[in-house]
Amino acid sequence: MADSPPLLKGTLDVLVLKALSWGPMHGFEIISWLEQRSSGSVDVDDGALYYAMHRMEERGLIESEWRLTGNNRRARYYRLRAPGRAHLRTEGASLECYARALADILALRPG
Amino acid sequence: MREELDFHVEERVSQLMALGMSPEEARAEAIRRLGGTWDDAERMLGDSADLKERRLNVRERLREFGDDIRYALRGLSNRPGFTAIAVLTLGIGIGANTAIYSAVDALLLRSLPFAEPGRLMDIVQTSSDDGTSPWSYPKYAFFREHQRSYAALAAHGSGQIILTGQQPERIPFEEVTTQYLTTLGVRIAHGRDFPAEIDIAGGARRVVLISDALWQRRFSADPGVIGQSLSLNNEPWEIAGVLPAGFNGLSGRADVLLNLSARPAEELSQPWSLEYSMIGRLKDGVTVEQAIAEAGLLGPRIYTAFPMSGGSLTTSKAPERWTAAARPLDTIRVASGLRRSLLVLFGAVAMVLLIACVNLANLLVARAMSRKREIAVRLALGAGRARLVRLFVTESLVLALLGGVASLLVALAGTRMLSAINPQETLRVQGLSGGVGAVGFEGIRLDASALVFTFVVAVAVGLLFGLVPALGATRPALVGDLKEGSGGAGSGRRVGASRRALVVSEVALALVLLAGSGLMIRSLANLLHVDPGFDGHDVLTLRLSVPPGVVAPDSMPGFYDRLQAEIAGVPGVERVAIGDCPPLNNGCNGTIMTFADRPQSNTGNAMVGVHWVSPGWFGTLRVPVKRGRTFTDADRLGAPKVLVINEAAAKQYFPGEDPLGKRVGVYQGGFHTGAEIVGIVGDVRYGTIDSTARPDVYISYGQARLSRMMVFARTSGGDPSALAPAVRAAVARIAPHTPVYDVRAMPARIATATSQSRLVAVLLGLFAAVALSLAVMGIYGVLSFAVAQRTGEIGIRMALGAERRSVLALVLRDGAVLATTGLAIGIVAALALTRVLRTMLFGVTTTDPLTYAAMAGALGLAVLAASWIPARRAAGVDPVVALRRG
Repeated sequence: MADSPPLLKGTLDVLVLKALSWGPMHGFEIISWLEQRSSGSVDVDDGALYYAMHRMEERGLIESEWRLTGNNRRARYYRLRAPGRAHLRTEGASLECYARALADILALRPG
Repeated sequence: MREELDFHVEERVSQLMALGMSPEEARAEAIRRLGGTWDDAERMLGDSADLKERRLNVRERLREFGDDIRYALRGLSNRPGFTAIAVLTLGIGIGANTAIYSAVDALLLRSLPFAEPGRLMDIVQTSSDDGTSPWSYPKYAFFREHQRSYAALAAHGSGQIILTGQQPERIPFEEVTTQYLTTLGVRIAHGRDFPAEIDIAGGARRVVLISDALWQRRFSADPGVIGQSLSLNNEPWEIAGVLPAGFNGLSGRADVLLNLSARPAEELSQPWSLEYSMIGRLKDGVTVEQAIAEAGLLGPRIYTAFPMSGGSLTTSKAPERWTAAARPLDTIRVASGLRRSLLVLFGAVAMVLLIACVNLANLLVARAMSRKREIAVRLALGAGRARLVRLFVTESLVLALLGGVASLLVALAGTRMLSAINPQETLRVQGLSGGVGAVGFEGIRLDASALVFTFVVAVAVGLLFGLVPALGATRPALVGDLKEGSGGAGSGRRVGASRRALVVSEVALALVLLAGSGLMIRSLANLLHVDPGFDGHDVLTLRLSVPPGVVAPDSMPGFYDRLQAEIAGVPGVERVAIGDCPPLNNGCNGTIMTFADRPQSNTGNAMVGVHWVSPGWFGTLRVPVKRGRTFTDADRLGAPKVLVINEAAAKQYFPGEDPLGKRVGVYQGGFHTGAEIVGIVGDVRYGTIDSTARPDVYISYGQARLSRMMVFARTSGGDPSALAPAVRAAVARIAPHTPVYDVRAMPARIATATSQSRLVAVLLGLFAAVALSLAVMGIYGVLSFAVAQRTGEIGIRMALGAERRSVLALVLRDGAVLATTGLAIGIVAALALTRVLRTMLFGVTTTDPLTYAAMAGALGLAVLAASWIPARRAAGVDPVVALRRG
């Protein structure tokens, strides 16, 4: 995990929003979700995640509230708001497009 | 955030431990991932979370505020009639306040345009008879030598002088000692200040500092002007420097500053030639109180040093009655009469605004009643009372701010009007000139401080008329309202009571304004009926001053003879006369009179005004001759000296005697050696119009050498000003290089003499009229609403046999109770408040019963008239309809 490449700027927000599109999660859940789905190739700095959450909450993309977890502990859960969903759609699409173009170029062989 | 972090770390630790790490390793790794140490992570993430919370809160509040404003705007646009009336009322109310505030700011508040103005003192001589009086040069020099309080002192006087040369022009000057600019803290812009070596007691070389305006106008801002010569009254003055732009001396209009030490030494050695004001800048560490005390101590010493009895004059005045006084320059910036007028107007206009607020509060209470159901629903749905109050107050604030914006137009017009008042002359003849001419009406403008004032007043007003209805309407326990919607009898009466209180206060305020304006109007009527002692209709006046050297002093009478003959030849001119000072001029020149047949010590200082006139003057102004004769063409230089006195002089100085044939000395124009009184004429008011005539003496211009005279031309009707060009042309034919100025019809001079009273009376009358109509509207609104609410009750009464007349009386009685309560409170308040008008009134007391009765009667009738319409409506209620609806 430690030697996985750093996250491209701007992609963390989209990944978090994507995670939340599955349903409300607390911070650690989001990180675990991203680590599992990427089989460990996405390495999120734990601190950076919370900064991102604050930023997005401020922008009205997500909202948060205290809830009980499955094993009855209090945790702050984050949930997608309508503007966040819209943000995920547009930014996700452009990121996808970018990634595909990147992959195509890298797949080219001289000759 | 801390809790969230703890949770996060625990989760991470258990995850890592599941992967096989020891608890310590797992914890270290979890913290490392959060960024460095635990403390850092907690602090930085905590800060970030706090910032987010704060921003979200602000945003939330802004959103609510935006919602409130949108709600308010929607509500206001749904009721365009109400909104228009409210904005208009507020616009006029706030605008009038801003305009008057601008005047108060310019004339009373704004700091004087000098360095550290609080350290400047004005020092005067005082005598128990004449109040304050100016200084002579020797007395100024004595004071300067013996004082210890001032870092710099200067004497200054002002007047007009002729700028001779190609285009002769009369320009205002100040004659000052060399420390003048140092005292005021003004730095010369180009060239140098007065050199120190000319600070002597007369006979110094002539040095002049010119204003920036004159520099631009006459020299096209040529820097080479320093050292050149300027011709004033045909004498060369060396230009030492140019004053900074905008600075025109304490008089506020001087184009040149002259060193008064250029005067001949013998002129400056006269201890009783009182012509100069004195100004000083306090030394560091000296307090105003110390300076005042010192002046009080120095004053008697100055009198001892220059006793009045030393010369040919004897006085009955005891030495201690002449002393000196110092006062901060700021306290004499405007005359006390003007200060009082301004503050009265400010108070009055504030009252108008208060009435407007009361009216709007009234309308809003009514509106809140009609929204009771909406309010109840909102409260029931869980809206906090604070939130609802905020909602309503936002509405009134939006309304007030709209009014504030509208008010700027009113304020702009108002400040334009006020700043256009011709300040110097108008104020001077009414005795309202202050000590600092630089403070004037032309400084009135809509500036940043006026805008801040408007904003603050608008917000205050919005809170004032919004809070009462908002608090009243959102009072909890409105379950009944929710159920009924129309409002139960109980709550209706409660709100009714607050509206009644509002109306009563409105009537009371209106009465205060009406009483005040009534008193001012009566006073003005008295002023307009004052007989000034002459007939100024159809008289044209103009001044001219012959530059020195153009006419030899001994030829002056002959010159004026030719001038009069030339003007008399102008078609439309019936009679022409010459005099040195117009009536209603806030005083003319005066001196001491002595009596040949009495020891001087018995008479004290007999002060008289001195007037130089041509033989035809009394006939031209129709001043009645009471006894003896007036002047003839034979009363010329060389002929026996004769005098004409007025009735006031005859009464005061010759009680029980016949003044005709008596010999007196008048200390002016060589008449101190004695002259015979040959006639007595009626009193003419030369001072302000509200001051009675003082003892005056008239001297024939034929026995004088005055170069500055005034022409009085009686025309054959129509506007005398129409003849001004022809008369000017006649003057130009006789005296081509003589500036003619101050060309005005006599009626215009008389109007100027009452202009301040007229302005105050007109403005107060206007304010009172607005107050009256607002009060009437308020009563009408409350009674209409009450009738509408009581339709059911009235219907029952009528169904039970009540007559229409008694229903009519029921409502009228309601109005009468409101009116009389308001009037009673208003009369008490007016008696207390109109006392501030005392010194502004002429011929009427502040408790004048006629004014009070008339105003209370008028207001009472207006209120009854306003009650009549709702009363008629009540009497017209159809019981069947009313009962069915109720």
